[in-house]
Amino acid sequence: MSKISLNRKAILFGVLFSVSVIFLIRLFQIQIINQKTYDEISSGNSVKAIEQIPFRGVFYDRNLNLLVDNIPAYTLQITPADYDTSLNKILDAVLDFKEGTIANILLRNRIYSKYVPIRIKRGIDFKVVSWLEENSNYLPGVDYIVEMQRGYPFGVMGSHVFGYSKEISPKQYQLEKDYYRPGDYVGHNGIEKAYEVDLRGQKGFKYVLVDSKRKEIGRYKDGLVDRESIKGKDLVLSIDGYAQRTAEEEMKGKKGAIVAIEPATGEILALVSSPEYDLNQFSYVTTKEFLDQINNDPNNPLFNRATMSLKPPGSTFKILAALAALDMGVINENTVYHCGGGFTFGRFFKCHDSHGSLNVVHAIEKSCNTFFYNLIYKIGLNNLKRYALEYGFSKKTGIDIGEEAAGLITDESYYEKIYGKNWPRSIMASLGIGQGEISVTPLQLAYYTAITANNGVSYKPHVVKGYLDNKTGGIKNLEFPITKTSVKKEVFKFVKEGMFLVVNGNGTATHIRSNEFKIAGKTGTAQNPHGKDHALFIGFAPFENPKIAIAVVVENAGFGGTHAAPIAKKVIESYLTKGKSDLNKNEMFTQLNSTGEVIAD
Amino acid sequence: MRIDYNIKDKIDFFIVIPVVLLTLIGLISIYSSTYNNPLTQNNFEKQLYFVIVSFFLFLIIHFIPTNTFKIISIPSYVFAIILLLLVLVIGKKVSGAKSWLGLGVFGFQPSEFAKIATILMLSNFLSRTNNNIDSIKDIVSALTIGFIPVALILLEPDMGSSIIFFFFILIILFWKGLSVLWLIVVISPGVVALSAIFGTTVFILSLILLLIILFLLNKDLFFNGSVFALNLALGFFTDYIYNILSPHQQARINSFLDPSSDPLGTGYNSIQAMVAVGSGGLFGKGFMSGNQTQLQYIPEQWTDFIFCAISEEFGFIGSITVIILFMILLGRILRNAANNRDEFLSLTQIGIFAVLFIHFLINVGMVIGLIPIIGVPLPFVSYGGSSLMVNVIMISIASNIYRTRKNQA
Repeated sequence: MSKISLNRKAILFGVLFSVSVIFLIRLFQIQIINQKTYDEISSGNSVKAIEQIPFRGVFYDRNLNLLVDNIPAYTLQITPADYDTSLNKILDAVLDFKEGTIANILLRNRIYSKYVPIRIKRGIDFKVVSWLEENSNYLPGVDYIVEMQRGYPFGVMGSHVFGYSKEISPKQYQLEKDYYRPGDYVGHNGIEKAYEVDLRGQKGFKYVLVDSKRKEIGRYKDGLVDRESIKGKDLVLSIDGYAQRTAEEEMKGKKGAIVAIEPATGEILALVSSPEYDLNQFSYVTTKEFLDQINNDPNNPLFNRATMSLKPPGSTFKILAALAALDMGVINENTVYHCGGGFTFGRFFKCHDSHGSLNVVHAIEKSCNTFFYNLIYKIGLNNLKRYALEYGFSKKTGIDIGEEAAGLITDESYYEKIYGKNWPRSIMASLGIGQGEISVTPLQLAYYTAITANNGVSYKPHVVKGYLDNKTGGIKNLEFPITKTSVKKEVFKFVKEGMFLVVNGNGTATHIRSNEFKIAGKTGTAQNPHGKDHALFIGFAPFENPKIAIAVVVENAGFGGTHAAPIAKKVIESYLTKGKSDLNKNEMFTQLNSTGEVIAD
Repeated sequence: MRIDYNIKDKIDFFIVIPVVLLTLIGLISIYSSTYNNPLTQNNFEKQLYFVIVSFFLFLIIHFIPTNTFKIISIPSYVFAIILLLLVLVIGKKVSGAKSWLGLGVFGFQPSEFAKIATILMLSNFLSRTNNNIDSIKDIVSALTIGFIPVALILLEPDMGSSIIFFFFILIILFWKGLSVLWLIVVISPGVVALSAIFGTTVFILSLILLLIILFLLNKDLFFNGSVFALNLALGFFTDYIYNILSPHQQARINSFLDPSSDPLGTGYNSIQAMVAVGSGGLFGKGFMSGNQTQLQYIPEQWTDFIFCAISEEFGFIGSITVIILFMILLGRILRNAANNRDEFLSLTQIGIFAVLFIHFLINVGMVIGLIPIIGVPLPFVSYGGSSLMVNVIMISIASNIYRTRKNQA
């Protein structure tokens, strides 16, 4: 052939050779260099991990009464790959959804695989379940599963203590992708959130082989690599179910908070913020109406008043002033001030009575303002703040659940910043009786009472004692840091004596006196420029061997002795008698009667 | 005259051995990839049957007189055109294309048979003594011979086969000595028509590029003008056709041009094919042990995606074996074509080389993600009776020509 055809032969040989070499290089790249990547995709293709969600840990109270458990509920789900969207209309109607709701849910979830079922509605009615069963042939891709939701069998609300779980937010999902999957439920607040890692347990995985249509065709490696799920830890709370229930009952229809603490341990026995909200509403699908209603409630039920609301402590703060003064030695138990109905420092500060001459014990008993006006000028603001910090004020207590506020106790530098070096010293007078620029939370008040009741020693307040050890059946206790104040031991005797007399002497809360157990306490009334004063009471009982310290705050109620102290008494009673008082009296009566025993009341 | 009884003179082992090995690899992989699929469990036996039939076909064609091919070229071409027309009327639709003719229990694709007929016809025409590849008349005649079947196949519509035809006709013309200018003239309508689908800007750019190349290669204003006008008209025509198509058909074209636009369709296959090949590693997962293959991740992988099964189960070693076997086979046919002094036989062998090479290029290229997915089988390896038989016929022709090479011109 001609010369040009030789050229053409070379060109064709060249093309053949180049194509083969390119193929070889490409194959080397895919099969040798990137083999791992493709191998992973390949295994992921054919091996499907099916999540086994374990039971969430339940909550027991300190008496091992079940407070929060799991109850089965039906969830309707749709697998988009098999689903026919023309069913939207029927399902919307069956599920009481507004038209287009299902289309919306599907649209939101279209970023996930079409073969992963999407939860449409939790807690569906049994009627809907039977309808699904009957019509399953006409409902491709629609089915239901049984899932666990929270139940509250003891009859306590515990809304701000327990908290609730909800579907993981995209933001949190991004942060914790290695454990959670979209649609998982996570603790949103309260104990559910704080102890999420303990409660959720450990997901298990069952590995199955699937074909290209994701149809299961067998176990992977005969189930040898499967991982069993591990049940969440069952928490034992420090909460006393009876005290909590009584506290909730007593606060019904009121705004405010109750916190009760065991002085020797820092264990929270009851924690109530009122108004509460119904956790059942959050246990499955939360309706929009409910959310609107709760968000628009002027009383803001979602707000945890026990740890977040800030009020002046009023006269309950006098205990701290007394402790500080005695400990510093600026007064002793015999130091006497004369009360003629008020105190003059630049201007006149009045007392609610003319108490005459009294020492610190009786000053507490009578809640004499004049005594404490004098005292604050002896102590000084900086010293008062130092003691306040020791008692947990002006900082977060570090309670193991949820958000809390730090509050404010002012010192000299605070006023220097505002008014300069010559700030008006007259400001100090009202601070001495717990009014003015001073704010504390109910939790801080209860904690401070607990420390005082236990002579200066307690533990960081907490609502969870520990968890049940499934192996031994015993309780594994959690450890919490100890609190020790520098206040001298002997000082407490006088202060507590004063508190004893408040109830048992001629004090401001004599009407809650009880023969069964001696309550000691201190009333307070926080001035409220926006409305009626807030009623406060702190106290502990029994006096000789304190088992419970309590703080009660009732907003816009008026005088503390009248409105807060009786509530405290009810809760104390309920706790010390393990619920055998008031509420449960009838119950117990019938119980014991049925066994033929005679009741002596 | 001394007769040389050396068997190497009668049979070209560089052709026969690669074909035998590729067919065996094909049988093994068909067995493995269809074993778990209840719908295709007979495919291995069917293929085995065709292999045996093909073997006898080879023996017959290998030993018939070589001049037979030239004699039958015109009748077989006419017959092929008739079959291609027939299939448009009474053809069976398989995966969107009306490309199968039922023949008793067996179906076959006329386009497969038309490959051989077109090669022979074109070689015959181009090897006539008075043929002048530089004359417009002869070029147009050659193109007409080549593109009548292409047009008919496009009507089925079978994109894969059309592309194969287009390229092997081009390679035959190239071998004959078609000038670069004419090569461009032949290729340009395809390029311009395709660019019209991509939008006005791409269309105009391709026309400008064409104009520049034409004026660099040729000074004849009238010629250039006609070529340009033809391209322009074709571009508008393509655009017009595209716009009157149903959205469903448009989607198919778009998916063809850009597989990622349809990830669950063609794109899915492309990705799963790469995964199958890549996960094979150096030695592969072993016979019957590739999970992509055994779990049917790749649809129809005993046909167009058979290379995945080989690569996954026999690894890099397996896949380079296939590549090298094709290199030897194709290189050998090319060499024989170049050494043959009879122009008809040389062109015929180039045609055979071209058909096999384009299949190999497109099939392996699409599996390893170098070119878009086009449904084309891998010769000798993929499952499919008519494809295997046509390939074996072509190989037999090449082998026959080798046998009688010393008697030729």
